[in-house]
Amino acid sequence: MREPTYFVLASLLDGPLHGYAIIQRTGELSGGRVRLATGTLYTALDRLTAEGYVELVREEIVNGRARRSYGLTPPGASALRAEATRMADAARLVTDGGRDLKAGRSARKASPA
Amino acid sequence: MSPLERRCHWLLHAYPAWYRRNRADEMLGTLLEASPPGSRWPSFRDVRALVIGGLRVRGWVWWLSILWVVLGAAITGYTFFVTTKPFTNADFWIPLWNTEPKVVSIAAYLSVAASVLLTIPVLVAGFVRLRVSEPRGWLRAAAWAGAWVAGLALMRQAGIWSEYPATRCGNAMGCIVPQDSGPAIVSWGELAICAAWLALGAVMTQILAGPAHGWDAPDTSSRPSRKASL
Repeated sequence: MREPTYFVLASLLDGPLHGYAIIQRTGELSGGRVRLATGTLYTALDRLTAEGYVELVREEIVNGRARRSYGLTPPGASALRAEATRMADAARLVTDGGRDLKAGRSARKASPA
Repeated sequence: MSPLERRCHWLLHAYPAWYRRNRADEMLGTLLEASPPGSRWPSFRDVRALVIGGLRVRGWVWWLSILWVVLGAAITGYTFFVTTKPFTNADFWIPLWNTEPKVVSIAAYLSVAASVLLTIPVLVAGFVRLRVSEPRGWLRAAAWAGAWVAGLALMRQAGIWSEYPATRCGNAMGCIVPQDSGPAIVSWGELAICAAWLALGAVMTQILAGPAHGWDAPDTSSRPSRKASL
């Protein structure tokens, strides 16, 4: 899962959002790192809808224009959780297990080849 | 309609018509909300994302077909351009194609190679993409075949017309004898063929104008939705 996709799904955790709200929320959640362009957002939404991770939940007319809100589906939520667990595990290798890793390397170096 | 709105609306034509019908309105709203207040032009990032997104929705068969057509137009346009120049003894093999700058003539040769190589794979990919089994699929497939026959005829005609200066050298392969040179003879026919290539591109875009296989994502209208007016 690529970073923008991850943040798009994460932005929907608190409930359905419309296009521009997703752009704003992903920006906030990523500390300004993920700045989605409109075209990129809808490409991602098309793909996530096709995969069944996201669904259309509401359609309103705002200023005479269609505004659709998208929500996370149960498969989308579990895919997001799986990705978060995978990244947390990967991060733990460095943060928690850093000492063990270093110890392991020096132990290997010390042992005769 | 503000200038920004008009430009964004125009920009959304990067997407095919069937996609715009469902999405353009919503995307336009998001584009306008995401643009800084008072801006008259969409940002470079937005333009780039929309063009890439549009190409993605149109699919690689459309992309390669248009590349084929554009190469055909570029080759004939270039042939027309070189016939407006005086004829020199450097012009042999494909007559007149050794004009300066060298980079352009090398690009022209590569374009010829690429357009010939693209012909069969893209023709076949188009048939796969048009799904003959569907209702009206046969009609679209027939139109597709017709478009390619027209393209091949244009290729052949351009080949015949671009050879004509060679006849002045009395040598079918072009001017190998160095003393041959002469004034330009403009080949207006090549310009007509160039225009025909561009028209063919428009026809091909029309034939491919339906959604590609597996596209159901933007079809949000069929889903249950709660409409509310604000």
